[in-house]
Amino acid sequence: MKTKELNLQDLANWVIDQTIKAGADDCKVSLSKRRMVDINYREHKPEVIKEATTRNLYLEVFVNNRYAGHSTPDYRQSTLGEFIKEVIAGAKIMEEDPYRTLPDPKYYEGRSQVDIQVSDPEYDQLTPEERHQMVKTVEDSCLEEGGDKVISVEAGGHDEIYEEFVKSSNGFEGSAKNTAFQIGASMTAQDEGDRRPQGYNYVVTRYKNDLPSLEELGKKAAERTLGLFGGKKIATTKIPVILENRGAARVLSGLLNPLFAGSIQQKRSFLADMKGKAVGSKLMTLTDDPFLPRGLGSMLYDGDGFPARKRDIFREGVVNEFLVDWYYSRKLGWEPTSGSISNIIIPPGTRGVDEIIKDLGNCILITDYIGGNSNSTTGDFSVGIIGKLYENGEFVQNVAEMNIADNHLKFWNKLAEAANDPWIYSQAIFPSLVIDDVVVAGI
Amino acid sequence: MVGGALVFLPAINACKSSGGELTGNYFLNEFGIDESICRKLLAEALSKGGDFADLFFEYTLSNYLGLEDGKVNRSYGNISLGVGIRTVKGDQIGYGFTQDLTDESMISAAATAATISDMGPAAIGSSFAKLAKGDYYPVDPAFNGIPGESKLPLLQSLNEKCFAQSNEIVKVNAAFSSDIKRTLIVTSDGVVAEDLIPSGFLYAAVVAERNGKREQAGWNLGGRRDFSFYTDEVVDEIVTKSVNNALKLFDAKQPPAGEMPVVLGPGITGILLHEAIGHGMEADFNRKKTSTYSTMLGKKVAEPFVNIIDDGTNRNLAGSINVDDEGTPGQKTVLVENGILTGYLHDKISAKVYGVEPTGNGRRQDFMNYPIPRMRNTYMTAGDATPEDIIKEAGNGIYVEDVSNGQVKIGEGDFAFYVSQGRMIENGKLTTPIKDVNIMGNGPKMLTNIIMVANDLEFYYGGAGQCGKNGQGVPVSFGMPTCLVKSLTVGGTQQKGGRS
Repeated sequence: MKTKELNLQDLANWVIDQTIKAGADDCKVSLSKRRMVDINYREHKPEVIKEATTRNLYLEVFVNNRYAGHSTPDYRQSTLGEFIKEVIAGAKIMEEDPYRTLPDPKYYEGRSQVDIQVSDPEYDQLTPEERHQMVKTVEDSCLEEGGDKVISVEAGGHDEIYEEFVKSSNGFEGSAKNTAFQIGASMTAQDEGDRRPQGYNYVVTRYKNDLPSLEELGKKAAERTLGLFGGKKIATTKIPVILENRGAARVLSGLLNPLFAGSIQQKRSFLADMKGKAVGSKLMTLTDDPFLPRGLGSMLYDGDGFPARKRDIFREGVVNEFLVDWYYSRKLGWEPTSGSISNIIIPPGTRGVDEIIKDLGNCILITDYIGGNSNSTTGDFSVGIIGKLYENGEFVQNVAEMNIADNHLKFWNKLAEAANDPWIYSQAIFPSLVIDDVVVAGI
Repeated sequence: MVGGALVFLPAINACKSSGGELTGNYFLNEFGIDESICRKLLAEALSKGGDFADLFFEYTLSNYLGLEDGKVNRSYGNISLGVGIRTVKGDQIGYGFTQDLTDESMISAAATAATISDMGPAAIGSSFAKLAKGDYYPVDPAFNGIPGESKLPLLQSLNEKCFAQSNEIVKVNAAFSSDIKRTLIVTSDGVVAEDLIPSGFLYAAVVAERNGKREQAGWNLGGRRDFSFYTDEVVDEIVTKSVNNALKLFDAKQPPAGEMPVVLGPGITGILLHEAIGHGMEADFNRKKTSTYSTMLGKKVAEPFVNIIDDGTNRNLAGSINVDDEGTPGQKTVLVENGILTGYLHDKISAKVYGVEPTGNGRRQDFMNYPIPRMRNTYMTAGDATPEDIIKEAGNGIYVEDVSNGQVKIGEGDFAFYVSQGRMIENGKLTTPIKDVNIMGNGPKMLTNIIMVANDLEFYYGGAGQCGKNGQGVPVSFGMPTCLVKSLTVGGTQQKGGRS
């Protein structure tokens, strides 16, 4: 699709100038554009071809400690003047909030210039034909591996290039450009009776050349689907579980959300009084690393414009740092630490999952989740699980329709081992995690 | 008018010409979308063949005002403007969209859509006709959203009343979110449909503190409504529900884990119908044979007293639609009648596959997405039993009052939903409150396990309910009478028999 080239920097300068002239004390403008292509295949033909370019202007204004933030896709100066006036008018009817300001500019200083390699220089060389071929390859290998068990295979690829320019009236200026490539397949297969298990395997990378073998990708989607056959619930039991690498963040997110300063200030955090205290076993170290080359969460500045910084959020089980943005730092009277998360990493162990299972004897490997929730005020959580039951180190059956429930303050103390298999196709780079003595509910 | 409903209109080339059946439409008046450009775009979309093409113009103004720590101190807004152009060939879709309503950009988007086919041009209808559609959320045609000044006092009132209701309330968050969406659908087979859709919700979330322990709860009311809905009575209901639910949790415990009878209370528990049954009856999953219901059409799936409806015609409910997002009128669709699976939820593509009429379920999040079969307001009709009879019959199990975070595995039919409010049932009576547990089950199995249905059908009048599918969120609602499910798995931290 043809689009007009936009000079984001000049437009940002103009918007800031006009917003201050229109009566704002301060303002911040974020301009972005994204070009994306989606291609899906089913039954050896394109099921969907979708392509477009989008753009967005987000303007935040501060007027006498009153605040509003509005967005529009319209970049034309002829209409933006009216938009700016409306946003300022919107802020003026808000109640005064003394904590609502742009950050002190001293916190903008010290930004790293390291090359985080988040934009593939060869992105523009990707042709429509190549996109189709990549997805077809994934579909073909999934169909071949699935064989006569296949009911349906859908393979899909998505790629995009994103650019932003952000500027505030008190001295922050930042720009970013990144690319992403996502590809994979989902397969539905015929199990016994009416059950039609659906498995999937998708990956996402910053650089096209970092994608794994497409044949292996499709094959793995089929293997994961066939590996769901015969899933059924067993009697409720207390047993060690292994959270498979790619899904472990689903459970761990319940431990992260209460670390945000907003949760703490709003009395919705069970971790509010736990800074410096242990909430997990010694293996529970969680590092936030914004500088990971080609990382899906890599960044040089955060949502407030603060320089990105590598930090341990949990260190050997102890809460090391809360996630404090500018606004809530002022409300709490704390120093800001950054309210943004980049790449979160749990260090891998030394043994593979297969070896760990042999050692554990009886355990459930959790490969997927359904529904569930985590209560940030109490730490209680409950989530449906799908997985594999092992006894004496040997696979016994697939399990489905089961559930795990616990409290995070107990659960992570039972973290017994991390495997050697970090899942790199995510912002949460976690290895498979072994948790002792979990009640898995079934019959 | 400021703060709530931006009146800013990025007029492009308004009032270019009169437009036949498109005369008087909002997009002609404001953006110059006339019959001539629509014909040009449809011709481009079908320039390489295809069964049909459609244009979906959208202009949405959204606004959110939030209260925290006693002050209405944040206003967020968004303008969404653009057109999505779809070319359909069999079950294949080409889709392009643009936020720029200039002829050049729109034709480029149409050309993208056309790439799904590689044949000669296909014809478009010789004339356009306005669709006869319902009026399930009547609103003044000049309605341009709820202004911020009107929202402010309601939020302040919510805050004051929550604190006044109990001195154990330590935090109140409140918000009033609303949007006004204008759509214009023009199809290559000659349908023109325009709609004006108000929606929103008012909500409060509270944190209560007792003896060093904290609990939280919230409630919202809304739907496809203008400002007249948001009265003092609505504020009072939100306050009472939020505060009482939070306080009740101090006495709550997690039930034993395992299989047991489950009574679904009336109203919001219809999420279970939505997750466990409704998704599996969306026809795209069935035409691809990926749904567990794909071989059950015409077969018995429940007891004869079970009837399940998906309805776009309920007045002011969040999932109601005058017209769906591909130009089919909103309507009522029977899914299960007297225990027999009678039909699926269709968009145009699946309807053609099955040789039936579309059911008005072709919905999309916005112009950046193409329509797919989606639910609207899904409910079970009332039965003959009383709620008291049902609780007594359950014996020992749990009673579910409020739920969230439902999810289903379409092929297996396995589902889960999270119980945020409920009670134990012991010896046929409601006893201790429960909280923070997941309910697991299998949709088809659960449907056959519904053994009693009460006479107290209630709809859920919240406006914040969003259903996600293929990365698209659309507003939906539910309805449910009290009913007894013979057995579901309850996920707790204690094994039956009390071992922890």
